[in-house]
Amino acid sequence: MTMNHEKEVIADTGGLSRRDVLKGGTALGVLSVAGFGTQSLAQAAVPSLPMAFRTEVEVAFRINGAQTALALDPRSSLLDVLRDQLGLTGAKKGCDHGQCGACTVHVDGRRVAACMTLAVQVDDLDVTTIEGLAEGDVLHPMQQAFIDHDALQCGYCTPGQIMAGVACVREGHAGSPQQIREYMSGNLCRCGAYPGIVAAIEDAARVMEG
Amino acid sequence: MKRFDYARPMDLESAVATLSAGGEGTRLIAGGTTMFDLMKLDVEMPGRIVDINNLSELKTMETSGDELRLGALVRMADAAEDARLKAEFPVLSEALWKAASQQLRNMASLGGNLLQRTRCAYFRHGAPFACNKRNPGSGCAAIGGANRSHALFGGSDACIAAYPGDFAVALIAMDALIDVAGPQGRRTIPIAELHRQPGTQPQHDATLSSEEIIVQIRIPANAVGKASTYHKIRDRESYAFAVVSSAAAVRIENGVVADARIALGGVATVPWRASRAEQALIGRRIDAQTAAEAGRIAFEGATPLSHNAFKIELGANVVSDALMIAAGRA
Amino acid sequence: MSRNFYPELVRVDALDKVRGATKFGTDNRPDNLVHGAFAVATIGKGRVISIDTAAAEALPGVVSVITHRNTTSLKPAQFLMGGGFAFQTHSPLLTDHVAYRGQPIALVLAETLEVAIDATAVLQVSYEEQPFAATIDNPLAEPIAQAEAPMRYPLEDISVGDAPAAYEGGAVKVDSTFTMERQFQNPMELIGTVAAWEGDRLTIHEGTQNAGGCKFGVADQLGINPDNVTVISPFIGGGFGQKNSMQSQLVLAAFASRELGRPVKIVVPRRQLFHDATSRPATRQRVRLAANRDGRLVGALYDVDAQTSKLDFFPAEHADTAARFYGYPAFKSFTRLIRTDIPTPGYMRAPFEHATAFAIESAMDELAYKLDMDPIELRLRNDTAVDVVSGLPHSSRHVAECLRRGAETFGWSRRDPTPRSMFAPNGDLIGMGVAIGLYSGSGGPTRARITARRDGAVSLNVGVHEMGQGVLTAITNVVSKRLGIPASAITATVGVTSGVPQPLTAGSWGSASAVPATEAACDALMKALAEAGVDISASLPLGEMVARTGAGQMQVEASSVAPGQELQVLGRTDTGRVAPAGPVYPGFVAFSYAAHFVEVHVEGSTGRIRVPRVVSMFDCGRVLSPRTARSQAIGGVVWGIGGTLREGAETDARYGGVMNGDIAEYLIPVNADIGSIEPGFIDEPDFQVNRSGVKGLGEVVMAGVAPAIINAVYHATGIRVRDLPLRLEALLKPQA
Repeated sequence: MTMNHEKEVIADTGGLSRRDVLKGGTALGVLSVAGFGTQSLAQAAVPSLPMAFRTEVEVAFRINGAQTALALDPRSSLLDVLRDQLGLTGAKKGCDHGQCGACTVHVDGRRVAACMTLAVQVDDLDVTTIEGLAEGDVLHPMQQAFIDHDALQCGYCTPGQIMAGVACVREGHAGSPQQIREYMSGNLCRCGAYPGIVAAIEDAARVMEG
Repeated sequence: MKRFDYARPMDLESAVATLSAGGEGTRLIAGGTTMFDLMKLDVEMPGRIVDINNLSELKTMETSGDELRLGALVRMADAAEDARLKAEFPVLSEALWKAASQQLRNMASLGGNLLQRTRCAYFRHGAPFACNKRNPGSGCAAIGGANRSHALFGGSDACIAAYPGDFAVALIAMDALIDVAGPQGRRTIPIAELHRQPGTQPQHDATLSSEEIIVQIRIPANAVGKASTYHKIRDRESYAFAVVSSAAAVRIENGVVADARIALGGVATVPWRASRAEQALIGRRIDAQTAAEAGRIAFEGATPLSHNAFKIELGANVVSDALMIAAGRA
Repeated sequence: MSRNFYPELVRVDALDKVRGATKFGTDNRPDNLVHGAFAVATIGKGRVISIDTAAAEALPGVVSVITHRNTTSLKPAQFLMGGGFAFQTHSPLLTDHVAYRGQPIALVLAETLEVAIDATAVLQVSYEEQPFAATIDNPLAEPIAQAEAPMRYPLEDISVGDAPAAYEGGAVKVDSTFTMERQFQNPMELIGTVAAWEGDRLTIHEGTQNAGGCKFGVADQLGINPDNVTVISPFIGGGFGQKNSMQSQLVLAAFASRELGRPVKIVVPRRQLFHDATSRPATRQRVRLAANRDGRLVGALYDVDAQTSKLDFFPAEHADTAARFYGYPAFKSFTRLIRTDIPTPGYMRAPFEHATAFAIESAMDELAYKLDMDPIELRLRNDTAVDVVSGLPHSSRHVAECLRRGAETFGWSRRDPTPRSMFAPNGDLIGMGVAIGLYSGSGGPTRARITARRDGAVSLNVGVHEMGQGVLTAITNVVSKRLGIPASAITATVGVTSGVPQPLTAGSWGSASAVPATEAACDALMKALAEAGVDISASLPLGEMVARTGAGQMQVEASSVAPGQELQVLGRTDTGRVAPAGPVYPGFVAFSYAAHFVEVHVEGSTGRIRVPRVVSMFDCGRVLSPRTARSQAIGGVVWGIGGTLREGAETDARYGGVMNGDIAEYLIPVNADIGSIEPGFIDEPDFQVNRSGVKGLGEVVMAGVAPAIINAVYHATGIRVRDLPLRLEALLKPQA
C-alpha cells in the first residue's frame, strides 16, 4: 500500500489531520485488519472525479404532491424554505435545533425535523406538510382525532404533533399508550396536551388501520 | 451560520475525491443532526460541505450472517427496527431507540451518530466560554464550572467534555469494527480506537482524518448479544441525553458467566469499556450481589467533578441494574 | 359529580389548528420583507465601547445594521409594573449599557434570515466589563426589604396578631427553608414581530397577551400617535406570562421598518429568550409553622427572598397567597427582593403561587407527620371561611370539598402513611401526596361588542387574548347559551386592537373579565332589540328579531368592571394599561382553589421518579367550557410536574446568563413523562366575584402540584426534598 506522506491536510475541529493519523501507531496498525468487504485497496484507490462545489443549488422536489423547483442558498433549512419561500407556515419554528418537533414534516413518508434538514437534501424527494394531509375538505383521521380529544390548546405544536402522530401509526409505534408516549416524545407541547394526544393517536390508529 | 459551498457526490469514490478536493474546511454531512446543529451555533464553520446522502453503497444493512454489517448511512430508526438486532442484540436496538427522537433517528446516520460531538455547553455556545475543543488553547471553562454532565473518566486538564452518544457505547461492548474509506484506500478500526480521549488535543474527537468516511459498522454475531441491554437513565423519561447509561451483556454457561460486556455512557470522554468489572464476573453467578460488585468496580477510578459526584453511586447502580436485566434475558 | 352548567363545546379554533391554517404572528410574511437578527452581549455586565459593523455591512444581502448609535430618536421602554408597557425598563440597543449576558447589542437587517444571522457573527465588539451577580446567593447581589423598595405599587409585609410569640408558644413546630431555581416559560411559539408601515400607519403582527399594551407602548417609544398603530394577535402560541408585556424586539422591528421603508420580521431565537425575556425568579422561602397538638395552627412566619433585576423591582407577591392558605390566628411575612444582573423577572404561570404552595404545603406535610395526623385532616382542621389578612369573608371557598372529593376519586384511604411502606410490583417505592393551591380571583375592565345579522350570524369582539386556554370557546359557549343560537353561528374575534380595546390577558382574569363583558353585551343586544320594538319574549330566532328591526344588522357594545371598580377604570385599559382588581374586594375576598393528589413511583437504585397518576379537583367557580377547562387543568398539572422535577436554570457565576439555555438542556416535560391526569371541578358559581360566577382557572391548576409531588416523594422514600428542581441526585444523597 502506498500513502502520500508529502501531503499535509490541515485538520478542522472534528478529526485528525492525515499527518496526525500517520503519526499515530494505532491508526496505521489497524490498516491490516482483515475481512474488509470485497473491494481491494487497489480498486478503492482508483481515482474518481470530485463533484463540483456550488454556491447556489438548484433543487426540485414534490411538496404536497406538487412539483417545485428552487435555487437555494445551501444553508437554508427545509423549515425556512417551507415557511419563507413556499408560504407553508403550518410547520413551526420552536427551537431551530431539532429539540422540539414543532417543525415535523414527512420526507418520503418519514417524519423528520424540517429545521435540521438542509433544504438541498430533499432534492428529488417527496415532502408532505400539514397543509397536504387532508384530502380536500376531508380531514385526515389524525386531524379529526385531535379535535375529538381536544389534543391541543394553543395549536402551535399541533401541526408537528399531527405529522408525527401519523408517522407514529404508520411506523407501527402506536401499539399501546406507553409506546405512543415514547414515540411521541420528540414533540414538545408546552400547553401539556399530552394525555389528549395519546388518546387521539390511539383513536386515529384504529381508523387508519381500519 | 457561515455561507458554504455544497457538493453531492453519487458514489463513495467520488465522495472521497470531493472531500480531498475541497481541502481545508471541508466537512461531510449525512443526517445533519449534529453537523447542521453545530453550524447553526457557529461551532462548525465549514467553507464546503460534501453531502454523502446519495451514496447508496453505504445504505445497506446485512444482518443475516455471522457478522452484522450496518452501512454508515443506515438511519438510526431503521437499524433500531431490524428484527435480528431486536431479537439477538437488544443492546444495539435499545441504544438506538433510546436516543434522541424518532424524527432525529429518521435523519441521523449510524456513521454520523458515532461521531456525534459533545453536549458540553461551554463547547456548544461559543463566546465567551473558554473551550479547548472548540478553540484550542483557550482553556476549559467546564473545569470549575457547571459540570454536572461532564466526564468522570478519561478527562484531562484540557477537557472534561463527555461523549454524548449511546450507540457507540453499545458497539464498544460488542467489539464492533468500523470500516473507513479515504484517499489512500480503506482501513478498519476497532470501535474502541475510533474515539480519542482529549489529552492535550481535545479538538480531535476521533482518530479519523478529515478526508475519511465511515463506510460501515461490523459486529461479530456471537452469542453474547442475546442477553443484553442498554440501560439509560435520563433527567426525563425520553428525549434526553444519558445522565448515566450502561450497555451490558452476559453469556451464561452452566449457570455462571462465561463472557460479560459492560460499557458506560454519559460519564466519560469516550465510549467507556469497564473491562475490570467484566472480568470480575467471569466464572460467577449473576445475582444482586455480584452485579452490585461489578457496578462498584466499573466506577472505581472515577474522578468526580464539583457537580457530578453522585454519578459514582448512581452509575454503579445503573450497571448493576443493567446486568440484572441482561441476565434476565439469558 | 355535578353536571356541568355549560354544555361540552368542541374547541372552536380546533379545526384551523389541526389543519395548520391558524396564522400566528410571525407566520405573516408581507412582500418585500427584511429579516432581522440580533447580536448579543458576551459579557456579564458593562458597556459597549465600540461595534465595528463594516464586515457585517459588506456581506451580500445585508441591508442595515442598527446599534445604540442609530436609535437616539427612540424613547426608552417603561416597566409594566412601573406604569409602562414593557417587561423591563432597560431597552437593549437604546444605550451602550449591557445589563446582562445575552442582551441584544445590535440588530442586523438582511434580505434573508440566513444572511442576517451570519452577519451578527462578524460584528467586532469591544466592551468595558463590570463585576456582576447573576444569582441570589452571589455576594454582589443586593437584597432590599420589599416594603422599603421604591416601587410604583408598594407591597407591605403582612402582620396579623403576634405571630413570633404565637410561633414560640406552639406545641408542635416546623421550621424549613425551600429554594427554587429560576424557571422559564418557554411557550412553543417564539417571541417575534412582523412590523409594516403604510404611510404613517404601523401594523404589528405579534403573538402577545397584551395587544393593547404593545400598541400604546410602541407608539410611546416611537413618538407616534397610538391611533396609528394596529396590533394583531388573534392567536398566541402559548404565552404563560412571558408575552404579557412589550418585548425588546418590538420597537426595534417597528423602527427598522420605518427606517428602511420595508416590512421587517424578527423572530427571537429560543436561546435569546432565555437571556432577554422574563423568567420566574429564583426564591428562597423560610416557613415556620406552629400548631397545637390537635393540629390547629397557632402561628406562621413566612420569609421570602425573591430574585429581581438591578433594573426594576419585580413585585414578589408570595406572602399574599401564603396568608390565605389557612385560618392562621397569627401570621407574619417578611419579603426581600434580591437584586441581580439578569433581565427583570416576570410572570410565569402561577408566578408566585407555585413557589408559595411548594413551601407552605411541604411544611404542612412535615407538620402532619410530626402530629401523626392525616394531612387531609390537618388541612380540613385549618380551613377558614374568613380571610385572616382583611378579616373579610371568602366569597366562595370550596377547598375542603376539593380535598374530600379528590381523596375519594384518588383512593386516599388506601394509603399507608408510613414512609417507605408501599411498593409497586416491580419493587419501586410508591408514594402518595396531597397538597392544595390557591390563586387570586381577579377581574378587570373589559369591553365586548356583538353584531347580530338578520341571517342569524353573530360576530363577537371582546377584549381578551386566545393563547390556548380556550377563551374563544368559552365566550362562544356563553353567547350560544344566552342568546339561544348555535355555536356555529358565532364568530368570535379577540386580540386585535382595531376592534374593542385589548387589555392584558393574564393573572387568570381573562375569562373572569371577558365573560361578564360578553354577557353584558348579550343583554345589551336584547335590550336594543326591545327598544327597536321587537318582542323579545316571543322566542323568535335571533336573525328574525334583527330582521324585524328593519336593519341589516344590529351592533351593541357593553363593558364590565370588577366589583368595586368605577366605570372610569375602563379608561385605563382603553389606553393599554393594566387595571385588574382582586383578590380583596369591598366586602369579600376571592380565590380559586385546587387540591392535588399525586402518586409517585421511585426507583430505589437510581432515584428516578415517575408520576403515573394525578387526581386534581378545582374550585374555579362556574365552568364555562368543560372541554377546554379540562384540557387547561391537565396542562396545569403537566406544568406542575415540570416545575418540580425538571425545570431550573443552571448558572455559571463567572459568566452570568443561563448555561442550559435551550430546550434540549432546560428540560420541560415530554409525553413519556406524563401519565394519567384526572381533573374534576366543583362547578359552583361565585356570583359575588362577577355576574358570570367565574373565578380564574389557568394558574390555580398548577398551584400545589409541586408540594403534592414532594410530599409523595417523602411518603415513598422518607426523604424530604426542599430544593427544586428535584433531580436524581437529591434522592441519592446520604439521608440526613
